[in-house]
Amino acid sequence: MGKLTIGTFSSLVGSLSLDFSVKLAEAAVKKGHKVDFWMSGNATMLAKKGQKAFKDYSFLAKPIQELIATGNFQICACEACAEARGYHKEDCPDGFIRKSMDWYLASTFDADRVLHIGGD
Amino acid sequence: MATKKLAFIVRSLPYKTEASRLALTHAIASQTVEIYLNDGDLVEASVSYVGDGVLNCLKGQQGMKHYGITTIEGHAKNSLLLDMRVLICKEDLDKFGLTEDNILMDAEDIGGETKANVVSYGEIQKEMDAATHILVC
Amino acid sequence: MKLAVLMSDYRNGIDMIDRLSAESLGIILVGNGVYHAAVKEGGKTSSLLDKKANFYALTEDFETRGITAANLDSRVKAVNYGDVVDIIFNDYEKVVWI
Repeated sequence: MGKLTIGTFSSLVGSLSLDFSVKLAEAAVKKGHKVDFWMSGNATMLAKKGQKAFKDYSFLAKPIQELIATGNFQICACEACAEARGYHKEDCPDGFIRKSMDWYLASTFDADRVLHIGGD
Repeated sequence: MATKKLAFIVRSLPYKTEASRLALTHAIASQTVEIYLNDGDLVEASVSYVGDGVLNCLKGQQGMKHYGITTIEGHAKNSLLLDMRVLICKEDLDKFGLTEDNILMDAEDIGGETKANVVSYGEIQKEMDAATHILVC
Repeated sequence: MKLAVLMSDYRNGIDMIDRLSAESLGIILVGNGVYHAAVKEGGKTSSLLDKKANFYALTEDFETRGITAANLDSRVKAVNYGDVVDIIFNDYEKVVWI
Protein backbone atom coordinates (compact mmCIF):
# COMPACT_ATOMS: atom_id res chain seq x y z
CA MET A 1 0.00 0.00 0.00
CA GLY A 2 1.16 3.52 -0.67
CA LYS A 3 1.18 6.97 0.76
CA LEU A 4 -0.81 9.87 -0.64
CA THR A 5 0.00 13.41 0.41
CA ILE A 6 -2.74 15.92 -0.26
CA GLY A 7 -2.06 19.63 0.07
CA THR A 8 -4.80 22.14 -0.38
CA PHE A 9 -5.38 25.90 -0.28
CA SER A 10 -9.16 25.66 -0.79
CA SER A 11 -11.59 27.00 1.77
CA LEU A 12 -14.09 24.89 3.69
CA VAL A 13 -16.97 27.16 2.74
CA GLY A 14 -17.14 28.65 -0.74
CA SER A 15 -15.53 25.82 -2.65
CA LEU A 16 -16.10 22.08 -2.91
CA SER A 17 -12.44 21.36 -3.58
CA LEU A 18 -11.81 20.71 0.10
CA ASP A 19 -14.73 18.26 0.13
CA PHE A 20 -13.16 16.57 -2.88
CA SER A 21 -9.84 16.17 -1.11
CA VAL A 22 -11.46 14.75 2.03
CA LYS A 23 -13.51 12.28 0.00
CA LEU A 24 -10.41 11.25 -1.92
CA ALA A 25 -8.59 10.76 1.38
CA GLU A 26 -11.45 8.59 2.65
CA ALA A 27 -11.31 6.45 -0.49
CA ALA A 28 -7.53 6.12 -0.26
CA VAL A 29 -7.59 5.13 3.42
CA LYS A 30 -10.38 2.65 2.73
CA LYS A 31 -8.12 1.01 0.17
CA GLY A 32 -5.34 0.68 2.74
CA HIS A 33 -3.21 3.67 1.80
CA LYS A 34 -1.83 6.18 4.27
CA VAL A 35 -2.77 9.81 3.77
CA ASP A 36 -1.12 13.01 4.95
CA PHE A 37 -3.41 16.00 4.59
CA TRP A 38 -1.95 19.51 4.57
CA MET A 39 -3.97 22.71 4.73
CA SER A 40 -2.66 26.16 4.06
CA GLY A 41 -4.23 29.47 3.14
CA ASN A 42 -8.02 29.40 3.34
CA ALA A 43 -8.02 25.62 3.86
CA THR A 44 -6.97 26.21 7.47
CA MET A 45 -10.64 27.07 8.06
CA LEU A 46 -11.04 23.32 8.44
CA ALA A 47 -8.70 23.41 11.45
CA LYS A 48 -11.15 25.35 13.62
CA LYS A 49 -13.22 23.47 16.12
CA GLY A 50 -16.84 24.21 16.93
CA GLN A 51 -18.12 24.12 13.36
CA LYS A 52 -21.85 23.58 13.09
CA ALA A 53 -23.52 21.56 10.38
CA PHE A 54 -25.83 23.48 8.06
CA LYS A 55 -27.17 21.89 4.94
CA ASP A 56 -26.15 24.91 2.85
CA TYR A 57 -22.49 24.53 3.77
CA SER A 58 -19.85 21.86 3.70
CA PHE A 59 -19.35 20.12 7.03
CA LEU A 60 -16.25 17.97 7.14
CA ALA A 61 -15.59 17.65 10.87
CA LYS A 62 -17.21 14.22 11.14
CA PRO A 63 -15.42 12.49 8.24
CA ILE A 64 -12.13 14.02 9.38
CA GLN A 65 -12.54 12.62 12.89
CA GLU A 66 -13.37 9.22 11.40
CA LEU A 67 -10.27 9.39 9.23
CA ILE A 68 -8.08 10.32 12.20
CA ALA A 69 -9.50 7.36 14.12
CA THR A 70 -8.22 4.95 11.44
CA GLY A 71 -4.62 5.72 12.41
CA ASN A 72 -3.72 5.99 8.73
CA PHE A 73 -4.46 9.68 8.34
CA GLN A 74 -2.54 12.71 9.56
CA ILE A 75 -3.96 16.19 9.22
CA CYS A 76 -1.87 19.30 9.63
CA ALA A 77 -2.59 23.00 9.24
CA CYS A 78 -0.15 25.72 8.36
CA GLU A 79 0.40 27.47 11.67
CA ALA A 80 1.04 30.93 10.22
CA CYS A 81 -1.95 30.71 7.86
CA ALA A 82 -4.17 29.72 10.79
CA GLU A 83 -2.86 32.41 13.14
CA ALA A 84 -3.34 35.04 10.42
CA ARG A 85 -7.01 34.06 10.37
CA GLY A 86 -7.39 34.13 14.15
CA TYR A 87 -7.38 30.35 14.57
CA HIS A 88 -5.17 29.65 17.54
CA LYS A 89 -3.73 26.46 18.98
CA GLU A 90 -6.61 26.14 21.43
CA ASP A 91 -9.06 26.38 18.48
CA CYS A 92 -7.58 23.33 16.78
CA PRO A 93 -9.84 20.24 16.75
CA ASP A 94 -8.62 17.06 18.46
CA GLY A 95 -6.19 15.08 16.38
CA PHE A 96 -5.13 18.00 14.18
CA ILE A 97 -1.57 19.27 14.25
CA ARG A 98 -0.16 22.66 13.28
CA LYS A 99 3.26 23.09 11.74
CA SER A 100 5.18 25.32 9.38
CA MET A 101 5.18 24.69 5.63
CA ASP A 102 8.26 22.48 5.73
CA TRP A 103 6.09 19.75 7.31
CA TYR A 104 4.22 19.48 4.02
CA LEU A 105 7.35 19.37 1.94
CA ALA A 106 8.78 16.71 4.23
CA SER A 107 5.61 14.68 3.80
CA THR A 108 6.11 14.70 0.03
CA PHE A 109 9.53 13.13 0.48
CA ASP A 110 8.26 9.59 0.97
CA ALA A 111 4.86 10.06 -0.66
CA ASP A 112 4.06 7.82 -3.61
CA ARG A 113 1.65 10.42 -4.96
CA VAL A 114 1.15 14.09 -4.18
CA LEU A 115 -2.06 15.91 -5.03
CA HIS A 116 -1.63 19.63 -4.61
CA ILE A 117 -4.80 21.70 -4.91
CA GLY A 118 -3.25 25.11 -5.32
CA GLY A 119 -6.33 27.27 -5.54
CA ASP A 120 -10.04 27.33 -4.87
CA MET B 1 20.39 9.47 0.92
CA ALA B 2 17.95 10.75 -1.64
CA THR B 3 16.75 13.97 -3.18
CA LYS B 4 13.14 14.50 -4.17
CA LYS B 5 12.36 17.27 -6.62
CA LEU B 6 9.23 19.36 -6.38
CA ALA B 7 8.25 21.50 -9.36
CA PHE B 8 6.00 24.37 -8.33
CA ILE B 9 4.19 25.63 -11.42
CA VAL B 10 2.70 29.09 -10.94
CA ARG B 11 -0.11 29.81 -13.38
CA SER B 12 -2.38 32.04 -11.32
CA LEU B 13 -2.40 35.80 -11.18
CA PRO B 14 -1.13 37.43 -7.99
CA TYR B 15 -2.94 39.18 -5.14
CA LYS B 16 -6.61 38.42 -5.85
CA THR B 17 -5.97 34.95 -4.50
CA GLU B 18 -3.17 33.69 -2.32
CA ALA B 19 -2.14 30.86 -4.63
CA SER B 20 1.02 32.31 -6.16
CA ARG B 21 2.20 33.71 -2.83
CA LEU B 22 1.68 30.32 -1.19
CA ALA B 23 3.53 28.62 -4.04
CA LEU B 24 6.56 30.73 -3.26
CA THR B 25 6.37 30.43 0.52
CA HIS B 26 5.97 26.66 0.24
CA ALA B 27 8.86 26.40 -2.20
CA ILE B 28 11.05 28.49 0.11
CA ALA B 29 10.12 26.15 2.99
CA SER B 30 12.20 23.49 1.22
CA GLN B 31 15.20 25.25 2.80
CA THR B 32 14.24 24.02 6.28
CA VAL B 33 12.72 20.66 5.47
CA GLU B 34 15.80 18.73 6.61
CA ILE B 35 14.68 18.91 10.24
CA TYR B 36 12.05 16.31 9.36
CA LEU B 37 14.27 14.09 7.20
CA ASN B 38 17.14 11.68 7.69
CA ASP B 39 20.68 12.97 7.24
CA GLY B 40 21.47 13.43 3.58
CA ASP B 41 17.88 13.38 2.41
CA LEU B 42 16.69 16.49 0.63
CA VAL B 43 13.63 18.07 -0.91
CA GLU B 44 14.57 20.45 -3.72
CA ALA B 45 12.02 22.91 -5.02
CA SER B 46 11.97 24.85 -8.26
CA VAL B 47 9.49 27.52 -9.31
CA SER B 48 8.28 27.91 -12.89
CA TYR B 49 5.99 30.70 -14.04
CA VAL B 50 3.69 29.92 -16.97
CA GLY B 51 0.63 31.48 -18.61
CA ASP B 52 -0.83 34.35 -16.60
CA GLY B 53 1.58 33.34 -13.85
CA VAL B 54 4.43 35.23 -15.53
CA LEU B 55 2.73 38.45 -14.40
CA ASN B 56 3.82 37.57 -10.85
CA CYS B 57 7.33 38.45 -12.00
CA LEU B 58 6.70 42.10 -12.86
CA LYS B 59 9.16 44.49 -11.23
CA GLY B 60 8.11 47.41 -9.09
CA GLN B 61 5.23 45.81 -7.16
CA GLN B 62 3.98 48.10 -4.39
CA GLY B 63 1.75 45.93 -2.25
CA MET B 64 3.46 47.14 0.91
CA LYS B 65 2.83 50.76 0.04
CA HIS B 66 -0.85 50.33 -0.68
CA TYR B 67 -2.00 47.32 1.35
CA GLY B 68 0.76 46.83 3.91
CA ILE B 69 1.61 43.36 2.65
CA THR B 70 4.80 41.90 1.27
CA THR B 71 4.97 41.70 -2.48
CA ILE B 72 5.16 38.59 -4.62
CA GLU B 73 8.24 40.24 -6.10
CA GLY B 74 9.84 40.22 -2.65
CA HIS B 75 9.15 36.50 -2.21
CA ALA B 76 10.45 35.82 -5.70
CA LYS B 77 13.60 37.72 -4.83
CA ASN B 78 14.00 35.63 -1.67
CA SER B 79 13.70 32.46 -3.74
CA LEU B 80 16.62 33.65 -5.86
CA LEU B 81 18.60 34.66 -2.77
CA LEU B 82 18.18 31.05 -1.61
CA ASP B 83 19.53 29.81 -4.97
CA MET B 84 16.27 28.27 -6.00
CA ARG B 85 15.87 27.35 -9.65
CA VAL B 86 13.44 29.84 -11.20
CA LEU B 87 12.10 29.46 -14.73
CA ILE B 88 9.92 31.99 -16.55
CA CYS B 89 8.18 31.01 -19.77
CA LYS B 90 9.44 33.10 -22.68
CA GLU B 91 6.45 32.46 -24.94
CA ASP B 92 4.13 33.76 -22.24
CA LEU B 93 6.29 36.83 -21.60
CA ASP B 94 6.19 37.48 -25.36
CA LYS B 95 2.41 37.12 -25.32
CA PHE B 96 2.21 39.96 -22.80
CA GLY B 97 4.86 42.01 -24.59
CA LEU B 98 7.23 41.67 -21.65
CA THR B 99 11.00 41.38 -21.72
CA GLU B 100 13.67 40.68 -19.12
CA ASP B 101 13.75 44.43 -18.47
CA ASN B 102 10.21 44.30 -17.09
CA ILE B 103 10.57 41.34 -14.77
CA LEU B 104 12.50 40.35 -11.70
CA MET B 105 15.60 38.52 -12.91
CA ASP B 106 17.94 38.64 -9.92
CA ALA B 107 18.33 39.44 -6.23
CA GLU B 108 21.65 41.23 -6.51
CA ASP B 109 20.49 44.13 -4.35
CA ILE B 110 20.08 41.77 -1.38
CA GLY B 111 23.20 39.75 -2.06
CA GLY B 112 21.79 37.02 -4.25
CA GLU B 113 23.90 35.42 -6.96
CA THR B 114 21.35 33.19 -8.67
CA LYS B 115 19.42 34.58 -11.62
CA ALA B 116 16.01 33.69 -12.95
CA ASN B 117 15.95 31.88 -16.30
CA VAL B 118 13.72 32.97 -19.13
CA VAL B 119 13.19 29.75 -21.05
CA SER B 120 10.98 28.21 -23.69
CA TYR B 121 8.00 26.24 -22.47
CA GLY B 122 9.87 23.10 -23.49
CA GLU B 123 12.36 23.69 -20.68
CA ILE B 124 9.52 23.97 -18.18
CA GLN B 125 8.11 20.72 -19.52
CA LYS B 126 11.52 19.13 -18.90
CA GLU B 127 11.45 20.51 -15.35
CA MET B 128 8.11 18.77 -14.81
CA ASP B 129 9.41 15.57 -16.39
CA ALA B 130 12.38 15.56 -14.02
CA ALA B 131 10.35 16.37 -10.91
CA THR B 132 9.24 13.74 -8.43
CA HIS B 133 6.01 15.66 -7.91
CA ILE B 134 4.38 18.63 -9.66
CA LEU B 135 2.49 21.25 -7.68
CA VAL B 136 0.37 23.60 -9.77
CA CYS B 137 -0.73 26.83 -8.12
CA MET C 1 6.11 10.76 -17.68
CA LYS C 2 2.78 9.19 -16.93
CA LEU C 3 0.61 12.04 -15.78
CA ALA C 4 -2.89 12.20 -14.31
CA VAL C 5 -4.54 15.60 -14.53
CA LEU C 6 -7.46 16.31 -12.26
CA MET C 7 -9.33 18.93 -14.28
CA SER C 8 -11.62 20.87 -11.96
CA ASP C 9 -12.55 23.84 -14.14
CA TYR C 10 -14.64 24.38 -17.24
CA ARG C 11 -13.57 27.85 -18.41
CA ASN C 12 -9.91 27.79 -17.42
CA GLY C 13 -7.03 25.40 -17.67
CA ILE C 14 -7.35 23.96 -21.18
CA ASP C 15 -4.37 26.09 -22.22
CA MET C 16 -2.32 24.39 -19.54
CA ILE C 17 -3.43 20.92 -20.58
CA ASP C 18 -2.87 21.67 -24.26
CA ARG C 19 0.79 22.34 -23.58
CA LEU C 20 1.39 19.36 -21.34
CA SER C 21 3.32 16.55 -22.85
CA ALA C 22 3.22 13.09 -21.35
CA GLU C 23 3.89 9.62 -22.68
CA SER C 24 0.66 8.62 -20.97
CA LEU C 25 -1.96 11.17 -20.02
CA GLY C 26 -5.09 10.62 -17.98
CA ILE C 27 -7.59 13.43 -17.58
CA ILE C 28 -9.94 12.98 -14.67
CA LEU C 29 -12.81 15.44 -14.83
CA VAL C 30 -13.85 16.56 -11.37
CA GLY C 31 -15.75 19.53 -9.97
CA ASN C 32 -16.78 21.88 -12.76
CA GLY C 33 -14.42 20.00 -15.04
CA VAL C 34 -17.18 17.43 -15.55
CA TYR C 35 -18.95 19.83 -17.91
CA HIS C 36 -16.27 18.97 -20.49
CA ALA C 37 -17.70 15.46 -20.53
CA ALA C 38 -21.26 16.39 -21.38
CA VAL C 39 -21.88 19.98 -22.42
CA LYS C 40 -22.10 20.76 -26.12
CA GLU C 41 -21.57 24.48 -26.39
CA GLY C 42 -22.76 25.74 -29.77
CA GLY C 43 -23.43 22.10 -30.61
CA LYS C 44 -19.80 21.13 -30.22
CA THR C 45 -18.21 18.86 -27.66
CA SER C 46 -15.37 20.28 -25.59
CA SER C 47 -12.09 20.59 -27.45
CA LEU C 48 -10.45 19.07 -24.38
CA LEU C 49 -11.81 15.69 -25.45
CA ASP C 50 -9.76 15.89 -28.66
CA LYS C 51 -6.59 15.57 -26.61
CA LYS C 52 -4.86 12.20 -26.81
CA ALA C 53 -5.65 10.97 -23.33
CA ASN C 54 -7.73 8.60 -21.28
CA PHE C 55 -10.76 10.48 -19.94
CA TYR C 56 -12.63 9.84 -16.74
CA ALA C 57 -15.41 11.80 -15.03
CA LEU C 58 -16.21 11.60 -11.36
CA THR C 59 -19.74 10.28 -10.95
CA GLU C 60 -20.34 12.10 -7.67
CA ASP C 61 -19.50 15.42 -9.35
CA PHE C 62 -21.41 15.04 -12.61
CA GLU C 63 -24.49 13.71 -10.86
CA THR C 64 -24.28 16.61 -8.38
CA ARG C 65 -24.54 18.93 -11.40
CA GLY C 66 -27.55 17.23 -12.98
CA ILE C 67 -25.62 15.18 -15.52
CA THR C 68 -26.13 11.44 -15.87
CA ALA C 69 -23.75 8.78 -17.11
CA ALA C 70 -25.93 8.52 -20.23
CA ASN C 71 -25.07 12.16 -21.05
CA LEU C 72 -21.31 11.54 -21.08
CA ASP C 73 -19.35 11.63 -24.29
CA SER C 74 -18.40 8.12 -25.38
CA ARG C 75 -14.71 8.92 -24.81
CA VAL C 76 -15.31 9.47 -21.09
CA LYS C 77 -15.57 6.74 -18.50
CA ALA C 78 -17.56 7.32 -15.32
CA VAL C 79 -15.57 6.62 -12.17
CA ASN C 80 -16.03 6.96 -8.42
CA TYR C 81 -13.60 8.12 -5.73
CA GLY C 82 -12.24 4.62 -5.20
CA ASP C 83 -11.54 4.34 -8.92
CA VAL C 84 -9.72 7.69 -8.85
CA VAL C 85 -7.45 6.38 -6.10
CA ASP C 86 -6.66 3.27 -8.15
CA ILE C 87 -6.10 5.29 -11.31
CA ILE C 88 -3.62 7.68 -9.72
CA PHE C 89 -1.76 4.93 -7.86
CA ASN C 90 -1.73 2.27 -10.53
CA ASP C 91 -1.81 3.97 -13.91
CA TYR C 92 0.13 7.22 -13.50
CA GLU C 93 3.28 8.42 -11.75
CA LYS C 94 2.39 12.04 -11.10
CA VAL C 95 -0.79 13.91 -10.39
CA VAL C 96 -1.67 17.55 -10.98
CA TRP C 97 -4.78 19.56 -10.18
CA ILE C 98 -5.92 22.25 -12.57
